[in-house]
Amino acid sequence: MKKLSLLLVLVVILLSLPLSISAQDLPFSGRVINFLTIQPHAVASRAAAELFEAETGADVQVLVVPFPNITEKALLDVASGAGEYDVVEIWYTSLGQLASNGVLVDLTEWWDANAEAINAEDFAPTIVEPYTLWDGKRWALPYDGDTHVIWFNTALLEQYGQEIPTTWEEYATVAQAITEAGSADGIYGAAIQALPAPIIQISSFANRLGGFGGSFFDAEGNPSINTPEAVDALQNLLDTAPYALPTPASVGFDETIAAFSTGNVAIAEFWTDFGQIVGGVEGSTVGDNLAVRPILVGGDNETPRPALNAGFAVGISTLAQDPEVAQAFLEFLARPDINVTLNTIVGGLDPTRLSTFDNPVYIEHVGQDVADAARAALLGATAWGNTPEWAEQQEVLNNNLSAAIVGDLTAQEALDATQAEWERIHAGN
Amino acid sequence: MSLVRSNGIGSAQSRRSNLLMALPVILILLVFSLYPFFYTLSLSVTESALARPFQEFIWLDNFRRGLEDSLFQTSIVNTLVYGFTSASLQLVLGFVLALFFYKSVKAGKYLRTLALFPFITPPVAVAMIWRLIYEPNSGLINYYLGQLGINPSQPIAWLGDPNIALLSLVIIDVWQWTPFVFLLALAALQALPHDPYEAAAVDGASAWQAFTHLTLPMAAPALIVIYIIRLIGAFKIFDQVYLLTFGGPGSSTQVASFYIYRAAFQQFDTGYASALTIILLVVLSITVAVLTSVRNRVRARYE
Repeated sequence: MKKLSLLLVLVVILLSLPLSISAQDLPFSGRVINFLTIQPHAVASRAAAELFEAETGADVQVLVVPFPNITEKALLDVASGAGEYDVVEIWYTSLGQLASNGVLVDLTEWWDANAEAINAEDFAPTIVEPYTLWDGKRWALPYDGDTHVIWFNTALLEQYGQEIPTTWEEYATVAQAITEAGSADGIYGAAIQALPAPIIQISSFANRLGGFGGSFFDAEGNPSINTPEAVDALQNLLDTAPYALPTPASVGFDETIAAFSTGNVAIAEFWTDFGQIVGGVEGSTVGDNLAVRPILVGGDNETPRPALNAGFAVGISTLAQDPEVAQAFLEFLARPDINVTLNTIVGGLDPTRLSTFDNPVYIEHVGQDVADAARAALLGATAWGNTPEWAEQQEVLNNNLSAAIVGDLTAQEALDATQAEWERIHAGN
Repeated sequence: MSLVRSNGIGSAQSRRSNLLMALPVILILLVFSLYPFFYTLSLSVTESALARPFQEFIWLDNFRRGLEDSLFQTSIVNTLVYGFTSASLQLVLGFVLALFFYKSVKAGKYLRTLALFPFITPPVAVAMIWRLIYEPNSGLINYYLGQLGINPSQPIAWLGDPNIALLSLVIIDVWQWTPFVFLLALAALQALPHDPYEAAAVDGASAWQAFTHLTLPMAAPALIVIYIIRLIGAFKIFDQVYLLTFGGPGSSTQVASFYIYRAAFQQFDTGYASALTIILLVVLSITVAVLTSVRNRVRARYE
């Protein structure tokens, strides 16, 4: 019996020998880093961690926090000296906030030295600067290229005799026609998300802002939020709101997904994974009656300029315990093949690399129409701010949009008030 | 003389041992109450960000800014309206329920158990439940209103209409905390002495007279304490606003604690958020002090 036990132990040791030898051969075996990510990206981030582990032997612990808390977590981690995170996911609008507060490692030298591996030319040009650059320095690499596209329930459009709109003005007309005919049966032309959380409400406005040819800032970086284009954009939102799922001020992501999946809403603005999300809702009636288009144009503008709503980069914490592995992980996340792999998982990511849009695996996963819409959206995208002042500017805009949505301010008044406050903040007063 | 000395030494020893026994509590209070308070106070007079506190001493600038901030003023008004409405409704409903059930031992026993459920339900679950109930198209309330023949041209947007959104949040709070008030009021009623009632019955007092001249005055001090407890709880409302309305529509459900959260954790302006916290503390302290004084007067009058 003793001999048999000894033999079994020997067999186990011999069998595990090649495994342990190969694990020791990997460059980062036995080393551990922590990756702070947001809940909507948990699946993709965990998948990335596993792939990196298999390739390098490093143990990547994925720490998931709700989206609204990510910046606060990263700031407090460094401010308190806890140093819990090595790699942090960054909503690009908080890049300046994090960099100016000493949370992020300056990657400029590394970026320049590794230009070939980073291959920045392959990133969608509209995201490279807002995601990575602040104060003339590089702080991060793109991870999730988020822009909205417009989703249509084609069965509802057909039922109410409507075509897919090509402008924001047509969108308003279609929404009105469907709501007037269908609201008694609980059918609405559109879901306008104006719950006053910045990521929700400002996204709805930003879609129209870019569509009408406006932008948050001019070419010199000065506030330009009350231009005629911006006012027209907000006016379009206000004009459409009465014909949207009641009531826009209380409609967020969950309400939009629920109403669209049950066939109660014909049009919704959302990210590119919306089709998979609504298709996966239990009791979803949408089926194949889905169409997707890039964000529309409005007014005199004929060039689609969707907004970079959400969008994430990854950077290295100044208190990282293992900066070398963190750097390697960053480089790994930005690799073209990994970009394809992570975007063929229902994990909340959108491509950041142009090559992903042409990749047959990606196209097969999302469909050619979604790939085309996502590419078009990303190529002309309008960025939100990414300076340290943006957090305050965003709150001001959000408050004034809320006031306009409920009729306390006109579009002009809301944006004039925002412009005045933004100029004060911009001037550092 | 020796006795006096002995007593003196004894009381000194007793004081020392009392102090030693109280020391852990004092330390805990210092660490967990006074330190954060003074830290907040220090932040409030400085230019401070979440990651970079105490950048510059700016005297009372943050307080001046807070007092001039119209949205903060709105949030204070909303907090007071929410707090008083919610706590008052809970007190009335909870007390009426307690009056109704305190003589029924069996029903009271079951109700006490049932009453635990709403206020031990996690806030997130409460928010999810009420989001479904308030849903304009498929929510329970609008459905039953429709069954009753009440069909407005547009479905009632309980959380989306600025005129009723705060009231909708009050209803949630009343649903969740009335049972708590019921339990406390029931305990207060059961602790009332029986002798005055027997004397009143001998004197031929009616049930209404017994209620207005005995029950209400004797229970009043306890009821005011319950009211203060719920008022303080309601003033701290945050979770339902965060989960259901995010302060909207417009600023109709913008309450002080949520506004302070946004200043601290959305704008990362911790200096300003600290000043707002101190202002809120002063407003609420004055409110509670007034109520406590009312309670003391009521107790002095009837004791």
